[in-house]
Amino acid sequence: MSAPEMDSLVPSFVVFHVGTRRVALPQECVAELIASPMLFSFPHTTPLITGVALRRGRIVPVLDLGPGLLGAPSPTARFFLVADRRIANTSERCAIPVQGECELVAGIMLPPLRVEDDSISGCLDINGDLVDVLDLERTIANSARIKADAVSRAEAIS
Amino acid sequence: MTQANSSSLMPSDNRPREQVAVFSIAAFSFAISAASVQEIRSTDSLGGSVVDLDRPVSRKVRHIVERDARTYYVVSGCEHFHLRTSRPATVLFLRNAPVAVLVDRIEEMAEMRVLLALPQSFRGEERTWYRGLTVLDRKVLPVVNPNGFLSESEMHRLEEQNPGVLQIAVAGHERGRA
Repeated sequence: MSAPEMDSLVPSFVVFHVGTRRVALPQECVAELIASPMLFSFPHTTPLITGVALRRGRIVPVLDLGPGLLGAPSPTARFFLVADRRIANTSERCAIPVQGECELVAGIMLPPLRVEDDSISGCLDINGDLVDVLDLERTIANSARIKADAVSRAEAIS
Repeated sequence: MTQANSSSLMPSDNRPREQVAVFSIAAFSFAISAASVQEIRSTDSLGGSVVDLDRPVSRKVRHIVERDARTYYVVSGCEHFHLRTSRPATVLFLRNAPVAVLVDRIEEMAEMRVLLALPQSFRGEERTWYRGLTVLDRKVLPVVNPNGFLSESEMHRLEEQNPGVLQIAVAGHERGRA
């Protein structure tokens, strides 16, 4: 097998920051990175959704993964990673606020460092820096649970 | 009536059109089909036709109001959408439900050319609140479901706790006029 053929077998990952946390998603989950889209918000009760963006004539919900990855909402973001999620047996695009620009990295995914966290499907060794690869659906579910718990606690206090 | 389209704007201009009223509550704007609204009034004009419910079953419905021999449950738009504060100055009397909705103000009447389905990522009460989303003046607005202000079960509970209140209010008003 030639070197280019070998390279094509190595999966690629998009590496990005949510707040201070550096994480990755498989490249096939990611559609594009967009800068400062116009965001629109309206009342709703779904945790994590901070608004919607209008992108290429489509409504794209914006989901903040901060509660699950940082334990708090993400800082203000200028860039949004548009990713495909599987929901109700269909694919739907969502926008994830990210800090800074993203990298495309080819590498072999290693087993996760923390097996107790089911939102992480593995990790990448990038020049000695171990970066968690997210299972997007589980990360969203985990973040939503943490966010809902925080809202319940805040309501109980008030 | 405009059917909710999947999630993208259609390129052709043969799209169905629908007149909507754009109203605001707190900092948010909403659209509602003009055909689903019977009348729009200032809260100042309601005067003595508002009656307190003896047994409110939720924070969003505390009063009934009589209008043209019909009685309506007064739904606070602010409470319905779980908003913190608003200044309701306008009432939307709905056509096909005994519901009058308190909103802050009417912003405009407009023509809606597209109704986009609410993305599946939205999983909460908003799936009942909204028919979908539309784009007016390059802004995305939710299009409210007029049947979503009071569900069948909420109506039943109101009627159970305040039996015959809608009919009693009308009869009382007619006696007053006689």
